[in-house]
This record gives sequence, C-alpha cells and structure tokens, in this order.
Amino acid sequence: MNISELQNVLKESKIENDKLIISKNLHDTILSIKDNYNFDILKSITGIDCGNNIELIYHLYSVPNQEDLLISTYVTDSAETVSDIFESAKADENEIYDMFGVQFDGNADLKRLYMPEGWNGHPLRKDYTGNDTRLAWNDENNA
Amino acid sequence: MTQGWLGMTKTTLKLNLGPQHPSTHGVLRLILELEGEKILSCEPDIGYLHRGMEKMAEKLSYIQYLPVVDRIDYLAGCFYSELFCRTIENALNIELSERDKNIRVLLLELNRISSHLLWIGAFLMDLGAVSPFFYSMREREMVLRFFEKLTGQRMMYNYFVFGGVRNDIGYIDDIKEIIKILPNKIKDYERIITDNPIFLARTKNKGILEKSVAANYSITGVNLRASGISYDLRQNDYLYKGYEFNPVVLQGKDAWARYKARILELKESLNLIRQALDKISKTKTQAKTFISPLGIKLPEGEYYNEIEAPRGLASIYIKSLGDNVPYRLKWRTGSYYSVNLLKKLLLGEFLNDAIAIAGSLDIILPEVDK
Repeated sequence: MNISELQNVLKESKIENDKLIISKNLHDTILSIKDNYNFDILKSITGIDCGNNIELIYHLYSVPNQEDLLISTYVTDSAETVSDIFESAKADENEIYDMFGVQFDGNADLKRLYMPEGWNGHPLRKDYTGNDTRLAWNDENNA
Repeated sequence: MTQGWLGMTKTTLKLNLGPQHPSTHGVLRLILELEGEKILSCEPDIGYLHRGMEKMAEKLSYIQYLPVVDRIDYLAGCFYSELFCRTIENALNIELSERDKNIRVLLLELNRISSHLLWIGAFLMDLGAVSPFFYSMREREMVLRFFEKLTGQRMMYNYFVFGGVRNDIGYIDDIKEIIKILPNKIKDYERIITDNPIFLARTKNKGILEKSVAANYSITGVNLRASGISYDLRQNDYLYKGYEFNPVVLQGKDAWARYKARILELKESLNLIRQALDKISKTKTQAKTFISPLGIKLPEGEYYNEIEAPRGLASIYIKSLGDNVPYRLKWRTGSYYSVNLLKKLLLGEFLNDAIAIAGSLDIILPEVDK
C-alpha cells in the first residue's frame, strides 16, 4: 500500500516528509490500516516536543508486504491510546508519558518508567530545566 | 483465602526477582506474583541503568555523541555506531568506499558472534550448566582480543567514524584463526547442549511465542525468526549488498528454537565474515577522505535508519533543525520490547521456567534503559 494511495482513501490527511499526518480519529485510523492493509507490527512510537504541541510518529510495518508506514499526529497533553490494537504500544506510550507527560486515554498502565516515582517534570520536553529538588546540585538542597 | 497447613492462610506471594539477580543480565527487576510456584502476574521494573541517552544527544554535538552510542548496548556496540554514522552519512551524502563497507560488515558480524557467544554461555548458566559458560567465553575471548588489537577496546570500540572506519583493517590472521576454530567449537556446543535431555526438558515447549503474539508485541530479530516469521533487515541492508545470506527462520516458537536459531546465526555470521574477508582482500587501502568531524551540521529534516542488531531491530530517528546538535534523537532497541513481552510470556509458568524463558529472549538492560 503506497502512502499516497492511502492518503486518497483517508480523508483529512496530508503527506509531509514521507509521513501521513492525521489530525483526528487516530485510533480508528490505525485500526483500519492494520486490518485492511496487513500492517501487523508497530515498530515504535516516537515523541517529539515541537514547542506548542507534541508530535507522535507511529511507525508501522507490514511483514507480508514488507512495507513501512509512518503516521504522525500532533497532540497537546493527551492522546488516544492504540494499546488495544498493538500490545507493544503499552511500552511506547509509557515511555512517552514518562518523557513527555502525554496522557493516553484508555491506557491505565501509565507510570514512571525511567524516572523515579514522584519525579518532577518530563525530561525530554524542551521546557524541562532539570531542576528537580532531588538533584544534589539543586539550590534548595544546599540551602 | 482458605485455611491451610498449620493454620496458615493460602494466599499469593509477591516475589522480587532482581534487580541484582544473576540471570537478569543487568539490572532488571521483575515483580512476580506467585501462587505456589506458579506465576500469576509479572511486572517488569526498569530504569536502573537509565543514562539519558536521548537527552544527552540534544546537548552534545555529533562528534561528541559518537563515543556514547557504543554504550547503548555494550555487548554489540558496533551496531549502534553503524546506525549513528550511517544516519550522518546519509544526511550529508557521504559515500563509503567499498573497502570500508566490507570492513564494517566484517566487524558487525564479529560483534554479533561475540554477543551470541556470551548469550549462549549465560543462558546455559541460567539453566544451571556452568561449563558451557567457560567454553563460550573462551571463544568469545578470541574475538575480543582481535577487537582489542584493532580498536584498542574490548567492548566499546568507537571504531566507526563518519565516512568510514577509524583505521584500516589489520590482524587478518587473527580473524582467519577465528573462522578456522569456531566452526569446530560450535559443533562441540551442539554436541553437549542441543540434544542434551536435561536441556531439552528445560527449554522444549517452554515460553511458546506464537507468531501473532510476537508481532503484536513488536518482537524482532532472532526471537521473531524463531517463531517462524522471516524478517531479517540484512536482506535489504545496503552494506550487505552482494553478500550471499540466508536468514535463519525456525518454526519451533519455544526457548529451544531461540537457542537453535542463535547457533545457526553464528554459522551464518561466519559465512558472512568469510565473504567479507574475501572482498576486503580484493581492495587496496585508500587514502582516507574523511570529512572533518568538527562543526558537522545536519541539514534541516528528519532522518531514520534501522539495522539488524543481535537483539532485534535497532533504529535511530533524528530530527534536525540545521544546528550542530539534533533537535530530537530517538533510539529504538529490541530488548525494550522483549522486556514488555515478559508480562505475557511468564503468565502461568513456573518460577524455575521463568528464568529459562526470560533468558531465552536475550534481554540486555543497557539497551532497555537507554
């Protein structure tokens, strides 16, 4: 399935940098792509802090057709989960929650992953200062 | 709750496996809920080895970050170096010489061999067999000695640079020695391990990973191929163009199949090394045309590359705004998804099998924690 063919099928989507950009109905779109075009592996979900919003790139792969597909969407602080479609998304979404603070509606397992419980802030956000009170070099600890 | 022996109540037990358990190959903590010896739930707890690889990338220039990438998986550092260098090369349109390409294939496959050899030893040790560990470490030592001579490092080589490799290949005799000795040693491993009744009892039909489950949990690499799905990135990799190569695909789906697949991969890697040596001998050392690593700036855009690492698909994503540091860099590693799979694969198994099943997935923690 070619990405431009797919764009013709899906209304309200556009292609940018070889990615299919979707503005809404992410869950249903990914479900229909998975079922209709045999995209059976979700290789990864990448989060990028773009300043005002966070871009999520879903990298799908089809083993029978040997094709890659990048689907991208922009969210602010919550997104639809796809963990009921791909189990591996649970791990990816958890990582994105930990690093970017994005809540995934419908994924109940979100917790701190790399960062300890109760850590302030989400490190891969561009506005993260690393000034957590637990850090030894934090001013509050030295006061 | 029912009243049991000596008035004790029958209930479940929470058991912490790790983070310092020898069979977790790093610092993985599994919180298991047991009923007797049966596992009712498994919750992996990771992050003990988190070094902030992705955040670090946003602060360091490309050449400063280059030595760091080996440490993502210290047992197979070449693969991550290759990924990172390849991305920079693609972005800046740097063409590698044939010789450098073949040297890279040679080192990648040697690295894969050392990684798989360690796994074989460690896996057997998990199952309680101590001597195979010494055998496989003995052979791995030959590979590490070669790497030490060539690169000055035993594990984290920092040998690939943008546009080629740091030094020309040397110590060819050492590699020839390895490819002469190793096939016999692999035969020895097979003789003492593969059909060993105790080994079979511990691994046959244990940890069965169905095709659909493997795909759903995003399992790649040897674990996926041992479940019967033929997906090996080396078939389409530009470095491996012109190499004869057959991906190892087994239908067993169990821990034994994953062991067997790694043994067969060793042979396949040796085969690739022979071809690489042959190709290298036909090319002459060229004057290096390195680009200056200082002040590298990637043009604005997004760059993605992937490679077949020993523990599954490894990929890199770089978003650049045209600066000398990436705006965002993301690593995708195979082990991260294997850890997630444990939640499913260990359910209903016995505790002693849990070690065998977790071991058979070849999880390495630096790769998980990044």
